Amino acid sequence: MTWRAKRDSLNELDQDIRDHLDRETAANVARGMTPDAAHAAAQRAFGNILLTKEATRAVWVPAWADQLLQDVRYAIRTFRRTPGFSAVVIVTLALGIGLNTAVFSVVNAVLMRPLSYQQPERLVWIATYDDRAPMEVVIGPDVLAWRDHATTIERVAAFSIGSERIAARDEVVAARIATVSNEFWDLAGGAPALGRLPGPDEDAIVFSHAFFERAFGADASIVGRPVAVNGRQVVVAGVLPASFGAELPPPVGASQLPPGPMDGYHAIVVQPLAPNSPQIRLFSVIARLKAGVTIERAASELAAIRTNRARVEGRPGPPRLRVIPYADKLVGHARTPLLILLGAVLLVLGIACANVANLLLARASARRREIAIRVAIGAGRGRVLRQFMVESLTLAVVGGATGLLVARGGLAVMLRLVPYAVPRLTEATIDGRVLGFALTVSIGTAVIFGAIPALAVWRANPKESLQDSVGPHVPAGPRMRSALVVAEIALAAVLLIGAALMLQSLWRISAPPPGLSPERVLTMKFQSNPPHQYMTEVIRRAQAVPGVQAAGTSSNGDVRTRLQIEGAPDVPIQERPLVALSAASAGYAPAIGMRVVKGRWFAEHEPQPICVINESLARRHFAGQDPIGRRLFLPTGPQSGDFAPIVGVVSDLRYKNLEAPVEPELFVHYEQIPPFALNLAIRTADDPVRIAPSIRASLAGIDKSRPIFNVQTLEGVLIDSVAPRRFNVFLLTTFAGTALLLAAIGIYGVIAFSVAQRTREIGVRMALGAERRAVVSMVVRQGMRIAAAGIALGIVAALALTRMIAGLLYEIAPTDPLTFAVAIGALALAALAACAGPAVRASLVDPIVALRCE
Amino acid sequence: MSTEDDERIELLQGTLDLLILQTLRLGPAHGHTIMQAIQQSSDEVLRVEQGSLYPALHRLIKRGWIAFEHGTSENNRRAKFYRLTPKGRKQLAIETSKWERLARAIARVLRPA
Repeated sequence: MTWRAKRDSLNELDQDIRDHLDRETAANVARGMTPDAAHAAAQRAFGNILLTKEATRAVWVPAWADQLLQDVRYAIRTFRRTPGFSAVVIVTLALGIGLNTAVFSVVNAVLMRPLSYQQPERLVWIATYDDRAPMEVVIGPDVLAWRDHATTIERVAAFSIGSERIAARDEVVAARIATVSNEFWDLAGGAPALGRLPGPDEDAIVFSHAFFERAFGADASIVGRPVAVNGRQVVVAGVLPASFGAELPPPVGASQLPPGPMDGYHAIVVQPLAPNSPQIRLFSVIARLKAGVTIERAASELAAIRTNRARVEGRPGPPRLRVIPYADKLVGHARTPLLILLGAVLLVLGIACANVANLLLARASARRREIAIRVAIGAGRGRVLRQFMVESLTLAVVGGATGLLVARGGLAVMLRLVPYAVPRLTEATIDGRVLGFALTVSIGTAVIFGAIPALAVWRANPKESLQDSVGPHVPAGPRMRSALVVAEIALAAVLLIGAALMLQSLWRISAPPPGLSPERVLTMKFQSNPPHQYMTEVIRRAQAVPGVQAAGTSSNGDVRTRLQIEGAPDVPIQERPLVALSAASAGYAPAIGMRVVKGRWFAEHEPQPICVINESLARRHFAGQDPIGRRLFLPTGPQSGDFAPIVGVVSDLRYKNLEAPVEPELFVHYEQIPPFALNLAIRTADDPVRIAPSIRASLAGIDKSRPIFNVQTLEGVLIDSVAPRRFNVFLLTTFAGTALLLAAIGIYGVIAFSVAQRTREIGVRMALGAERRAVVSMVVRQGMRIAAAGIALGIVAALALTRMIAGLLYEIAPTDPLTFAVAIGALALAALAACAGPAVRASLVDPIVALRCE
Repeated sequence: MSTEDDERIELLQGTLDLLILQTLRLGPAHGHTIMQAIQQSSDEVLRVEQGSLYPALHRLIKRGWIAFEHGTSENNRRAKFYRLTPKGRKQLAIETSKWERLARAIARVLRPA
């Protein structure tokens, strides 16, 4: 029977019954009764109309559903009568559920949702590396050998990510381009929105939908036409749909490229090596395993293939091979921090639950008489219990729905503030699974916080409640409520201590060395190997802008070279240590804030090849010796093969990534090696953002085809480099703040309630001569006893739990006593503040009024 | 209840359904008519609890044994007429034979041969 049939049959029941009565009345009149008597007789004969209607409804709607509806209506009426109470409960739940949902939506996007590839579960990351250099790259010959000979993999795709200059409508823009081999499209499964994908062996490019709109104004006529890519004409094969989002790892070792979505994909054909070619192209590699093949089996086959190839062709790549699930490569490092955040936010939910349970418990004792009456007039205890659970569920559902809004807002804030702090974070949405999570959490919390007051009612004796005229109290009420608050405070203490440790780590890692003042340094990037004359002109013009104190360029250690010290024992090239190599100019060290520790830095022009090293390099490779005057081999210098003397040592400085330790770094004058991507650093007398436009304008006039991008203060660059840490700290401090607030509300609730109950007792005390101060201290002592118990428990828990975040801390012990002290001090202060209000209210009790109110 | 009703017999549980089906065999009828028909055809012996008529009608609709349609009653008002469905007609046969077997069995017990 359909729902419609049910509605139709029930709808006309009233009319049907009325009709029935009319006919009966008419029949009675026909039998000779007066109309009034006839009507009364008809009603009498029919019996209880309401009961009949209910019985008829029950045919269609099971009685429990009707009662449930009744319970919900009753619950809503009850909450409407106490709007303040309901608001506190709903807001508390909304915070708890909302924060959990927001974090879960991130976990869902990052760790649970499959990658946007075909059969993503079979996708692997294949990398070769050297223990001494963490770069994960693969040389072209290995890619070809695997493609041609491996039987354990279906498809292998090579790619590299870099910044390229694209001639857009009226300017040249720097675009984030993935150069991909044709097999990439088999793995990613893209279908273009316009045009087509590049064919095999074709030099063509496809753009992302966002870039197509941004750079070309969504002008479809560019498809099929050439555009200039790094000054070379390349055909635009097509445009990808906006939904295309094949995840790629961050580019290997390039500080040149800010994080963000790909703007385009440029086709590349992996070529066999030309004999004696000095350059080897390096790729990142992903592959799809054949069905049923384990990673271990694939790895051993791939290793065997490359060993064999190197034996035949020579040119071994990096010695070690790594094959891991591609998802692990992309998000593996984010897993632990995210799970920790999820754990932390569950603690917040625990506190919210305890708080709500507490509030309901307080209300349950206030409602004790109402419940006793209901039980006395025949409501079963089961029915009363169910009423309580329905009230809890109603609160949880309203709180959960509000929580969804909190989650949506929180997610929007995260995406705005730190979109690239966590890989795949931009994919986070509130999808079906997140909604399911929110619903489960809401119902789960309702069961937990609803069970406690329900049990208290279960044990209550109706007779006692009705006789007891002094004041309602639920058995075990006060003790249970204090225990809940103790637990709340303990959880809050754990969160506060964890957040404080993370915050300290962030401060320590971000604190600039004295005198660096990164807020006064402007940095910008230039791309694709600008010629020396261009860079020289850039430096000249930058220095000429008023307000500029120093300006210089550096390649920021983006490449590495094998260190060879003259006179050191000769070792094979593979075993020489790798150090970062930077091409820098005279103004760079003063502009960025690198101090000269020994010797000198570069002059404007250096007629002879020389080099400068940093302290790390000196420490590691010239331990106990004076490096000045020692000579290093310059592999790419104009007089390649020459040794150049070390003329100076500069201080170690984390100038591009605060998270990475300072590497041994070798500086060479930029005019003495072939040009490559450069960064400009400009130190200004005051706020660099103010003179940035004039610097930009002055530099842009040199060569319109060379985009200048990422104009940012050094402070901004450094802040971005700790984005993941900031993300964690931001969330943890939010959680800790919420926890602190909820715990304070918890204490306040218990103490205020107890003061209200003890009004008469306090009145008696005061009538007997207790001073107001004594009353205040009595109330505060009661609150602080609870707080102290919670804090003690919290310290013990924190000592056990903070070890879990040790990996996320920086130069601080997970048991740092000062941090513990500060966090606990804050909690104690909050507790004190929460007790203050009720304490003052207690001291203002007028003994006469208190004793009279009976 | 008035004293004149005392001679009447209250319906056994479940027999109301059977009587409604039987009444509707003759054609669609209004709720009040069904009640009257049952009382009259039993020579006023059976008393239909009027309040239980409607739940019974709805029960039968839910099982698909009867359906209803709107019509206009003699006094020109919209009224609901209940009628037997084919399924209900089959059910009537089943219920009738069940009832007859039960009545015979009870009769045998009360008046052993």
